Amino acid sequence: MYSNDVVIDSINACNDVKALKLYMETCAKCGTCAKVCPVWYGEPTRQYNPAWRSDVIRRVYKKHNTLGGKLLGPLVGAEDLKDGEITEWVDYFYSCTGCRRCAIFCPFGIDNSVITHKARAILDSMGLTPKRLKDVINISLKTGNTDGAPPAALTEAVKFLEEEMKEETGKDVRIPVDQVGAEMFFVPPSGDVLVNPEAIMGIAKEMYKLGISWTMSSGYFDGANYGLFTGDDKSMKEDNKAYVEEAKRLKCKIMLMGECGHAYRVMKFMMEKGRWWGDLPFTIDNVLCFTARMVRDGAFKLDKSGNPDPVTYHDPCNFGRSCGITEEPRQIMRAACADYREMTPSGAHNWCCGGGGGLSAMDDIKLFRMTVSGKKKVEQISATGASIVATPCANCKRQLQQLVEYHKMDVRIGGVHDVVSNAIVL
Amino acid sequence: MVEFAFFVGGVLPYAAAATFVVGMAYRFYVWFRAPQPAEITLYSWPEGSMLRNLLGEVLFFPGLFRSDKILWAMSWVFHVSLALVLVGHFRFFSALLDRGLMALGASAAGIEQMSSLLGGAAGIVILATAASLIIRRQTVQRVREISTLPDYFALLLLVAIIATGDAMRFSSQHFDLTQTRVWAWSLLTFNPVVPQNTAFLVHATLAQLLLMFIPFSKILHWGGIFFTQALMHTR
Repeated sequence: MYSNDVVIDSINACNDVKALKLYMETCAKCGTCAKVCPVWYGEPTRQYNPAWRSDVIRRVYKKHNTLGGKLLGPLVGAEDLKDGEITEWVDYFYSCTGCRRCAIFCPFGIDNSVITHKARAILDSMGLTPKRLKDVINISLKTGNTDGAPPAALTEAVKFLEEEMKEETGKDVRIPVDQVGAEMFFVPPSGDVLVNPEAIMGIAKEMYKLGISWTMSSGYFDGANYGLFTGDDKSMKEDNKAYVEEAKRLKCKIMLMGECGHAYRVMKFMMEKGRWWGDLPFTIDNVLCFTARMVRDGAFKLDKSGNPDPVTYHDPCNFGRSCGITEEPRQIMRAACADYREMTPSGAHNWCCGGGGGLSAMDDIKLFRMTVSGKKKVEQISATGASIVATPCANCKRQLQQLVEYHKMDVRIGGVHDVVSNAIVL
Repeated sequence: MVEFAFFVGGVLPYAAAATFVVGMAYRFYVWFRAPQPAEITLYSWPEGSMLRNLLGEVLFFPGLFRSDKILWAMSWVFHVSLALVLVGHFRFFSALLDRGLMALGASAAGIEQMSSLLGGAAGIVILATAASLIIRRQTVQRVREISTLPDYFALLLLVAIIATGDAMRFSSQHFDLTQTRVWAWSLLTFNPVVPQNTAFLVHATLAQLLLMFIPFSKILHWGGIFFTQALMHTR
């Protein structure tokens, strides 16, 4: 029912991307990727072995694109695509969190997430993307956010948060919305508006203290971009363009990305670097780097007694390995928490929460996320003895929240600016 | 036997060399030419010159060292002894290395002794590490479950080549350097004079098969690593 020719044509297109072509021809099958993979750690089985998963594509590539594969077949690891095999790919490639930890340790620097992305793009073109993720993309394209929330949801949330802050601090801390001409356009993930709004309070207090003119947008308050996860480049760019247009409409000087790693990655490293929409009339920053600079400059005071409990920091893969932002959040945490504890390993070597690559949003694989892909993270968190995990990623937060509930751990999950909110002296 | 010897020593070398050189050149060419639409950004890589980082990765396998010390030791020692063996083989084909060392004050006996010691040690170590890599493939689950025919074929072929090489070095039927040097020169002048030693012929057959196999097999990783690492280290 699915045409093998279409799949094979897409696999042949690996020739047009240097990285993919090399990844198809260079693996030595040493097994290092499995050793550092959170999914394989959770359940050491062949299907979760990154090299095996990538070989699902690699053997077909070799069959059709290399002389050795055509002449020698299985002797050089070349095999044709079997009928119906493609439907099995969904399970294979949606059990990779795309965390890129394997790429750090692979002696050849083979980034299996690039292969996963390619496979998911093929699945997407055949209409095989898991329904939940496809829905998220369509909702986002239609409403501007992945939750499908109307503009009123933001304005109401903002009103509520402003009242909260008034009650807490006695000050008129504002969260401006749709202010054309504001210096900064703040783009959080929608989860930080609707589910975990404490981080936004931290940011609002910071802006209040610094006297910076900033704004949110009632139509565009979700930097999340699931096209990155499903390999649907067209939707990813369409979703992204709406935000760039909104930034232009608001005439901001800086687009300030919130606590969402993949949103910042798409905006900064893919859109801006790849010049998708040409020259931009604004720069792109993210709130971790911004706050860390303010902390370093001593632009406001942080009172550590606001965060007396032991706190640890979880590196979202898209902030750590994909954007190189590991030190900034730690500078903030150390300055704002009385008892900051480091996970082992940390930074670029930190383990994935188990919900990366869009998996966190998929409820039908919750058991897999709780018992397999998230297993290592549970052990890491327990080892720190921390009662709070701060992480700047809505997907990580959802996965970690479910993990601590599922494993009955006495741990709270929050954002980095939650601790700023607790500690900032107004 | 004479026909077989002539084929292995007088015909195959040209085919093997041509296949290897053309095959690898073609690979390098297409790797070099392939477009890369977007940069790969992965952190954290060390700061500093791309070339130095690349050489560091290629020569010392630091990623492997950080993640799997046992494999690192097996693999690094294997590759270093392989390099030693390859350099040592230069002596079979030419007296240049000997002359160079003599110019530096080494005696013929001294060179022979060093060759026996270094070459003999490398021959044993590479056999042991190649065997250990096969055993690892069979005994370590995460490696066993991804190992297929090509992974074993490459290793078994190597072990066979090493074993026949070692057999010549350590048996009474010691190889004769003058014969192989005459052979090498005769190949260059297209007038092959082939040694008739059985162990040598078997060794040469297998080695040439391997040489021809490299551009089509997983052993390509020796070349691919320069390109994949350059991709990762270029900002």
